[in-house]
Amino acid sequence: MWYFVVSCLDVTTLLLFASIGELLNQRSGVLNVGIEGLMLASVSLSFITTKLTGSFLLGFMVGMATGSVLGFLHGFLSITLKVDQVVSGLGIWIFALGFTTYIAAPYAGPLGMGTLGGRIFGISPFFFIGIAVVFVVWAILFKTNLGLKIRSVGEDPLVAEVSGIKVERLRYLCVIIGGLLGGLSGAYLALSYSTIWAFNPTMGRGWIALALVFLSMWKPWILLGGSLLFGTVWQLALSPELIPLLPTLPLYFYRMLPFAVTIVVMILISMERFRRKWGLAKPAALGLPYIKE
Amino acid sequence: MRIKLERRITLTRLDWFRLTVLSIIIAFIILSIIIAQAGKNPLAGFKEIFSYAFGTRYGLLLTFYRGILLIFTTLAFILPRRAGIWNIGAPGQLYFGALAMLGVALAFPNLPSIVLIPLMLIAAALAGGILGGIAGFLKGWWDVNEIVVTLMLNNIAYWLVMYFIMEGGPFADPFGTPDSATVPALAKAPLIFNVPFTIFLAIGLGIFLYFLLTKTKIGYKIRTLGQNPASARYAGMSALKLSLVVMIIGGAIAGLAGYHEFAGVPGVYKITRKFAERGDLAYYGIICGLIAAQSPLAAIPAALFISGMTVGGTALQRRLGLGYGLDLLFLGVLMLTIIAFEFFKRHKVLWIIKGD
Amino acid sequence: MNRRTKEVYELLDLPRKIRNDVSRGRNGKGRRMQKGPLEGIKRGDTVLEVRGITKSFPGVVANDNIDFEIKAGEIHAILGENGAGKTTLMNIIYGLLKLDGGEIYVRGKKANFKSPLDAIDQGIGMVHQHRRLIPAHTVLENIILGHPETKRIIDMKTPEVVVKKLCEKYGFKLDLNARVWQLSAAERQMAEIVKALYRGAKLLILDEPTSVLTPIETEKLMKSLKVMAKDELAIIPFITHKLPVVLEVSDRVTVLRRGKVVARLMTKDATMRSLARSMVGRDVAFKVKKLKVKTGSQILKVENLSALSDKGVLALRGISFSVREGEIFGIAGISGNGQHELAEALMGLRKAEGGKVTFEDKDITNSSILKRWKTDIAYIPSERVEVGTVADFSLVDNVALNFYFEPEFCRWGILDYKKIRKHTEKAISEFGVVCPNADCHAKNLSGGNLQKLILARVFSRMPRLLIANLPTHGLDVGAIEFVCNELQQLKKGKAGIVFISEDLDEVLTMSDRIAPIYEGKFVDIIPAEEANREDIGAMMAGVHLKR
Repeated sequence: MWYFVVSCLDVTTLLLFASIGELLNQRSGVLNVGIEGLMLASVSLSFITTKLTGSFLLGFMVGMATGSVLGFLHGFLSITLKVDQVVSGLGIWIFALGFTTYIAAPYAGPLGMGTLGGRIFGISPFFFIGIAVVFVVWAILFKTNLGLKIRSVGEDPLVAEVSGIKVERLRYLCVIIGGLLGGLSGAYLALSYSTIWAFNPTMGRGWIALALVFLSMWKPWILLGGSLLFGTVWQLALSPELIPLLPTLPLYFYRMLPFAVTIVVMILISMERFRRKWGLAKPAALGLPYIKE
Repeated sequence: MRIKLERRITLTRLDWFRLTVLSIIIAFIILSIIIAQAGKNPLAGFKEIFSYAFGTRYGLLLTFYRGILLIFTTLAFILPRRAGIWNIGAPGQLYFGALAMLGVALAFPNLPSIVLIPLMLIAAALAGGILGGIAGFLKGWWDVNEIVVTLMLNNIAYWLVMYFIMEGGPFADPFGTPDSATVPALAKAPLIFNVPFTIFLAIGLGIFLYFLLTKTKIGYKIRTLGQNPASARYAGMSALKLSLVVMIIGGAIAGLAGYHEFAGVPGVYKITRKFAERGDLAYYGIICGLIAAQSPLAAIPAALFISGMTVGGTALQRRLGLGYGLDLLFLGVLMLTIIAFEFFKRHKVLWIIKGD
Repeated sequence: MNRRTKEVYELLDLPRKIRNDVSRGRNGKGRRMQKGPLEGIKRGDTVLEVRGITKSFPGVVANDNIDFEIKAGEIHAILGENGAGKTTLMNIIYGLLKLDGGEIYVRGKKANFKSPLDAIDQGIGMVHQHRRLIPAHTVLENIILGHPETKRIIDMKTPEVVVKKLCEKYGFKLDLNARVWQLSAAERQMAEIVKALYRGAKLLILDEPTSVLTPIETEKLMKSLKVMAKDELAIIPFITHKLPVVLEVSDRVTVLRRGKVVARLMTKDATMRSLARSMVGRDVAFKVKKLKVKTGSQILKVENLSALSDKGVLALRGISFSVREGEIFGIAGISGNGQHELAEALMGLRKAEGGKVTFEDKDITNSSILKRWKTDIAYIPSERVEVGTVADFSLVDNVALNFYFEPEFCRWGILDYKKIRKHTEKAISEFGVVCPNADCHAKNLSGGNLQKLILARVFSRMPRLLIANLPTHGLDVGAIEFVCNELQQLKKGKAGIVFISEDLDEVLTMSDRIAPIYEGKFVDIIPAEEANREDIGAMMAGVHLKR
């Protein structure tokens, strides 16, 4: 049973890093739908680096760097070149799909080096780092001047600019750090969560992370709760015998569970009752390009 | 000398074409760097790509096979996009369509082809349409983000296929291979010069969509919704009905691709264990859609061209010993350059010489 | 902390700790203060002077050699019609636009504003017409946003004290912890003024400060402005119509017309008449003839209609009225009192929470929008760019917006573009829409032409009931006359028209019956012959008068 709980927390950590990064992005008004791609790229590069150099640390750094670079790329495309943010995010994802397949094919197989970080009572230390990151992001966003500026940029960049805030610079900052966190998630996946390279290691979790950001109404602590929930659902899908009262369907049906749950929750928050509250919490400038006079 | 950027007011077809070609060339340049980095001569590489894909008989056939898939998935992306909706669900709709058509074929393997194949096509289209319709309904009724929904549905469809074709599943191969049962002989797509008839289906759909969008009332409504949803509402158009229509049609088209991929391409004729790789190809319909500037007619040559590039890419892999997935990498790079060039479609670059 | 903020702090009676910091010349981090050019200013010193300001846009000279100056402690109003160049001048002074020619002097020193930040640093603050506040944040958060003094870790307490004192001093009643979207228009304006003051502004530019205020709120604002002027602040209100306000509050007036300064007066020497004449260049007469048409049967009956605003609050509280064919039913009110919601509810763009709408004896309360178009009800939306037209569509496609469902233009699901094009060309020529041909995109049309296009399209449907929501908004005088005359002509075709406008004079001239609306209810419904300006104005502010 404990093993089950620990596994849930593992998936939670994965989702958490990716989504908290995106939360930061979206709070500044930038929508990055390419999280899945960002994770894929960082998984493959950190795995390869560690395999080739034998150093966990290096692989980890490379993973985070990959995330930042792709985050910066997304920022460049959507902030400076003012490309539609959805298109840019999809582009990063599709690029990562191709890039990852090409780069990592020769390296399929296990890492063979144990996992990064070891375990504390069986729980990966990254889980605790994740919670710390949530705290830090929350504190920055709501308790500091910087956070106020970030939130303002996400609500109304024109007003922010006139009040003396450098909108583009802040958005770049958020996109790079958000990307870094996404890359962290990928590195975690490669080096700690499951140290075997296989086709499509993320299995759609990057998209669940995206949905999580919407569902959390852009509040970091709710995001943590959501990650825990979905982490559990994901793990349950792998071991459905733990769910009481469910009819015994073939295993594959349970794998669909996390995705179905995501859809259901998204429908729930789109219904009248929650719509208004959700709409008010949404950064008003999300997804809109910032065009200066 | 300075560079000044000026907002464009109009974009002529010629300009647009030139810019698109330029972006493809830049992608090629980047690809050359990759080829060179692997120690091979880029020019030889390109010669290889083009000659294989469009020069050799086999290569040309492969180009068509993949090209038909791309046409279907590009159209499946373009139609909803014109209404302002992102259909990222082509792979899932494709899987659903594949399951449906295989189900029909396996259930009635002895029906004459003339009856069986249309039945399979209808089943594939219906199945894909239903999956698309779910996303369309959710979007139209509750405005649920369709990107997330279609992606979730993709994953769900993936596992559904796994259930069907793995051992113990309804479509599992009776001979114990990890693929599905083989498509019965009468269900296979008839070939014309070795190209499955689905090519006519695909091209026909492209022409049909063009006609739909430019000349019909519903096409007008779709375009209005995509350009300005507030105006569409003001004019009495129903976002719900339109979302449903475009997603059902888009899904149906992707479903038909399911028939083509697994019952149309010679040498396949079953849902293989690695079906996800073929399914992921469906995502590249998005690149094609962007290249074709969301025009159904332009989608046809664009899809064939892109298909040729990737087929040539696989040849490059083999002939020059480059890594697996080169074609996909190229598509990825192409996607990024096309996106980056969006910028130049909206701004003109002016070179100002000092002193003017 | 720079000296400007220090002065702000010194004006207010602040607790010891803050005062000590201030007097020691250090900010919270212990850094030395910088100087801004507007401290130590005395009454009568020239704060701002602009000479020869010129600015052109393609095809238009917006500002032509404008000279202007304002002294400390003075309220100097700038008056002009839409298109006279006020906005351009304002934006130049505030650093939003670069001037083509001329100079700006702040207290004698030449200034070069590259962005509003430069202007803010020089002590110039601007309060915009369309509020520049962030709705999701609280008032206090908005005020401290971007202020160089705000510490890294937000400390709300010090600013709160300072801001409260500022509000008290100038008579602003604000709940600092309310979210901005909850505030009324007047409160938002107060918040913006306080924000500028907190930033140390010594010169306040106000863009149409009274356009969305009720007469009572206007009074309060005038009082506050006068107090500010006493404190040696300089204020420039930019105003279009409210001549009485100008006369009451300002010390000097400068009138702009077509980009040039045409008059400079001391307010005590000016009258409404003389000001209006300078503004328009001729005796102001609203050149619209009200047609006398015999009204026919009742076509629209509204009973107790209610609807919610976008925020979920009841904006329309049980409105009842009727409209006959051949009459214009005018609704007068300050924006935000429910007119917009009423227009949309009548057209089906907004759900009716309660009540009944009957058109030609049929209940249409919950009919679809399409059904209403098909039964010859038409709507001219207030947002001509966002809703009324599609920017990237050709004019032909734009006209099709209201005709695509008509059987004569669409058969078997296929649109007859030839017919639509012919219809478009006819409409364009009849209404004088300026464009190269019917294929040009709507986004290339000017505001006035866009409105003409919409009118041409909607009128050619020959509707029985027309709901016109702010049809003259943002148009120049010539276009306004055109629109109003066309609306009058429509009466002849036995149509009933619901006419909504923010301009009281317009409503008075155009309507056969007038209903002032206040907080979602009609205060009264008065036949035009019995209506006079003062009474209607009072009713718009909620005063119920006995007739």
